[in-house]
Amino acid sequence: MKIDLYNAIVSAQMSRRKMLKGSASLGAVAAMGGLGGAASAGAHGGVRAEIMKIPGVGMGSPGDPEWQKVGELCMGPVKERVAEGEFKGVELTFMGLNNQNLHNFLFRGFLKPWEAYTGAKINWIDLAQADYNPRLQQSIATKTVDFDIIEMGAPFEGDTAGQGLLNEMPGWVKDQIEYDDLVGYLQPPVGTWDGKAYRINIDGDCHTFCYRKDYFGTGSITGRMNPPNTWQEVNQISKDVVGKTDPLTGLPAHGFLDPLKGWGGFGMYFLTDRAGPYVKHPDDPAFLFDIDTMKPRINNPGWVQAIQDVMDLIKIEGAYPADQINADPGTTGFQQFLAGTGSMLTWWGDIGSNARTSDTSVIGDVVGFSAIPGSDRVYNHGKGAWENTYNEAPNNAYLGWGVYVTNRVEGDAKKRKAAWSAAAHIGGKDISLWTSAYPSGFQPYRNSHFNYDEWEAAGYDRAFVEDYLGSNLDTYNHPNSLNEPRIPGIFQYYSVAEDELAKGYAGQYGSAQETADAIAVAWEKITDQIGRESQIKLYKAALGL
Amino acid sequence: MSIEEGDKLHVVTADDISNNKKRLGKFLVWGSALILSFTLLIQALDTNAVLTIGLETWRPSLYAYVLWAFCLCASQVLTRGEHGKRVLFVLPAALFVISMVVFPLLFGLVIAFSDWNLSSPDGRTFNGWDNVRQMWVDPFYWNALKNMVWYTLVIILEYTVAFGLAILLNSQIRGRKFFRVAFLLPLMLSPVAVSWMIGKSMLEIRFGPISRFLRWLASEPSTDLPSLLYYPGMYIADLAQWFGWASPSFFGSAGIARAMIMAMDAWTFIPFMMIMILAGLQAIPRELYEASEVDGASKWRQFLEITFPLMLPVSITAVLIRIIFKLKLADIIINITSGGPGGATDSVTSFIFREYRDRSNVGYGTLLAIVYLVIIVIAMTVLIKLADRWMKPRY
Repeated sequence: MKIDLYNAIVSAQMSRRKMLKGSASLGAVAAMGGLGGAASAGAHGGVRAEIMKIPGVGMGSPGDPEWQKVGELCMGPVKERVAEGEFKGVELTFMGLNNQNLHNFLFRGFLKPWEAYTGAKINWIDLAQADYNPRLQQSIATKTVDFDIIEMGAPFEGDTAGQGLLNEMPGWVKDQIEYDDLVGYLQPPVGTWDGKAYRINIDGDCHTFCYRKDYFGTGSITGRMNPPNTWQEVNQISKDVVGKTDPLTGLPAHGFLDPLKGWGGFGMYFLTDRAGPYVKHPDDPAFLFDIDTMKPRINNPGWVQAIQDVMDLIKIEGAYPADQINADPGTTGFQQFLAGTGSMLTWWGDIGSNARTSDTSVIGDVVGFSAIPGSDRVYNHGKGAWENTYNEAPNNAYLGWGVYVTNRVEGDAKKRKAAWSAAAHIGGKDISLWTSAYPSGFQPYRNSHFNYDEWEAAGYDRAFVEDYLGSNLDTYNHPNSLNEPRIPGIFQYYSVAEDELAKGYAGQYGSAQETADAIAVAWEKITDQIGRESQIKLYKAALGL
Repeated sequence: MSIEEGDKLHVVTADDISNNKKRLGKFLVWGSALILSFTLLIQALDTNAVLTIGLETWRPSLYAYVLWAFCLCASQVLTRGEHGKRVLFVLPAALFVISMVVFPLLFGLVIAFSDWNLSSPDGRTFNGWDNVRQMWVDPFYWNALKNMVWYTLVIILEYTVAFGLAILLNSQIRGRKFFRVAFLLPLMLSPVAVSWMIGKSMLEIRFGPISRFLRWLASEPSTDLPSLLYYPGMYIADLAQWFGWASPSFFGSAGIARAMIMAMDAWTFIPFMMIMILAGLQAIPRELYEASEVDGASKWRQFLEITFPLMLPVSITAVLIRIIFKLKLADIIINITSGGPGGATDSVTSFIFREYRDRSNVGYGTLLAIVYLVIIVIAMTVLIKLADRWMKPRY
């Protein structure tokens, strides 16, 4: 769980009485042998209840002693497959992040009991988020991969798995981590290339729709009872509230907050939120490129409509806050929406958590969440025509973090088994429940994480957890969700698109179509530079075709 | 005095170098050169898969180069004695510079003429003049270059302000020492901190104190105010509204955004020029001013005839160094506008940063950097030549 979210929950709910009630429930559950359902079945139930008490919800932030304790309690699946001291003399190098003193620090704690039991030694490469991409790319390009295990986002699978740098996951690892428990969008083809699995998931990611509840309902300034279901409604609301006063802050009211400035490529996810329902046809797995040619679809009528929607609002004075042309997603999320400016937004889970904890947030009591809106019509790229049917396509932006083993371990069976055993330990089913429930930097990503009874028994406020987890679950398991293409250099495409969009939004191109055409030209250049044939092959592999 | 006599003055001991020593010196340098050449050849063949030794890094060549450099230094002493020892004061430094500057520059040139996208499975491939052709038609690069011209021209204004401040701090004002330190503070701040504190906080549209102040100016005064205050207030509000301060926007339009970037960068670096000019001012002899006063020169005349001409060498040095700093402008832009709106604030460095870091386009990014380096070197050479001409005494 993200730190902010954890703080939000504990600060909002935990009284001593509730804590005792939660502990008592847990104890009762443990005594009964589990909570029922797949999540707590069998021997796991006891361990799950036990780890959820470390250190206890609202009992302070867990640190290394707690991480080690959790790691120790979750060693069962490791011990079933590895003999004590089996990896003595094996040295592994693990490259990952050091964000918020979590990630690698957390893994160190989890893996200490593993090291003690197996006899292996792990060396650590800790990287700041900003250093991560250059370090990885340079290692690959200069053929100096010096790590055996890597924590990595799915978008980089094209750069690694696509170039044969990763080691295929052994069958026993799939059993150990209970691979089938993953939510829908993390099931293959995500994490696989050419049908081979490489990724042990440790995180989930998606964009959800955040809205201000006080903009809707009887007597509200929008005059609507419910938040919008479609992007057409979103734009209409943005136009309708121009000139009106925000019910919470007394300042000018605004509708949807589009980030109009780039964000190192990440800004593209936000245009994709808008474009998804227009361009992701349920019968077509692709939405960014033609599968057989890698011809960009960014300038097809669906994408152009999404860009046009933004441009329409730019033209209306007051539809966006002043200076919106200079607002990146950080600004729209944290400086605008949380501060009471604007009424609708798409973002990762951070906004939901910060809404109730951040000192600068004023919307904690009036914020609501849902899946990203759909559209009244969808563009069928294959037929080259619009279809007037309702379509939803929520965006699983970035897909979350995973752990991978590199092919440095190939040729050394003992080392390979050790690397996969270590990776499987931190991506295990029980340990992941703990990382979902306590500050870890990781979001829930397994179906078993959505067993609300377990959360309630651990002392969480059920209403909040259901609200928060519910919007994620709807997106995760949506049959027409947008998943990362995972081709090499995907952030290059996003980054150059941001540059061209900035020009389009600043009025330097004649129309949305011209803007989209400029992006398409730039994308074609990138594809040619990276290698069209290999991109086509990898795009197909990423889509599981 | 002959050359030999001159040399003898600096030679402590007479050199009596045996032929064996000379031969050993030559053997060392040629032997190590042979090892270096052989190692390079082997590595090149291995890299190009002619041989299959499987060398993972170029370290063997590096070690061979270090050995050759050591032998070269040793041979100087062996073959030339005392003269060789003298050479050792410079030779290691020269070799170090060649290793750390010349080699990387040459390697940079190789990359600049390559198609090298880090995501490409094909790795680096030589692509001739393709990157130059791409640069020639790249509107983003030319736009950034055009912006750099604007950014650089502002140095004239910065110089004027810095000169004014330096004169102020050089005069006998109260609290002079305090102001000297206070005016230097912006220079001590990291541009990244400046961009966050000012660009992202103080100029923040809704909460930033500057924005709030401007909005307050543009708001209509309360009717409860006495007429003496109400009517001026109305006038100020009308004026402020005319300026658009009712809804201030500092980075929304191209011109204002560029001006704000210029202002923040100037605020950070004006103290640098100011302190250099101040040092120059303090070095001007008082007698010159006293003599001019005796001759009845006005303060303005003193400035034109004494201060400014005598400060010209310092001023030109300060401006040239400032130009070099300015041409590297990137951090404030990256933090605040990312080059926007629509490329209005983009600098060459911030564009190269995006091309290199966000797009892993190493070949093209390196070419842009090298072209920029060439432009800077030419421009600075021309400027220095012109400055030399200006600085020649007029009288």
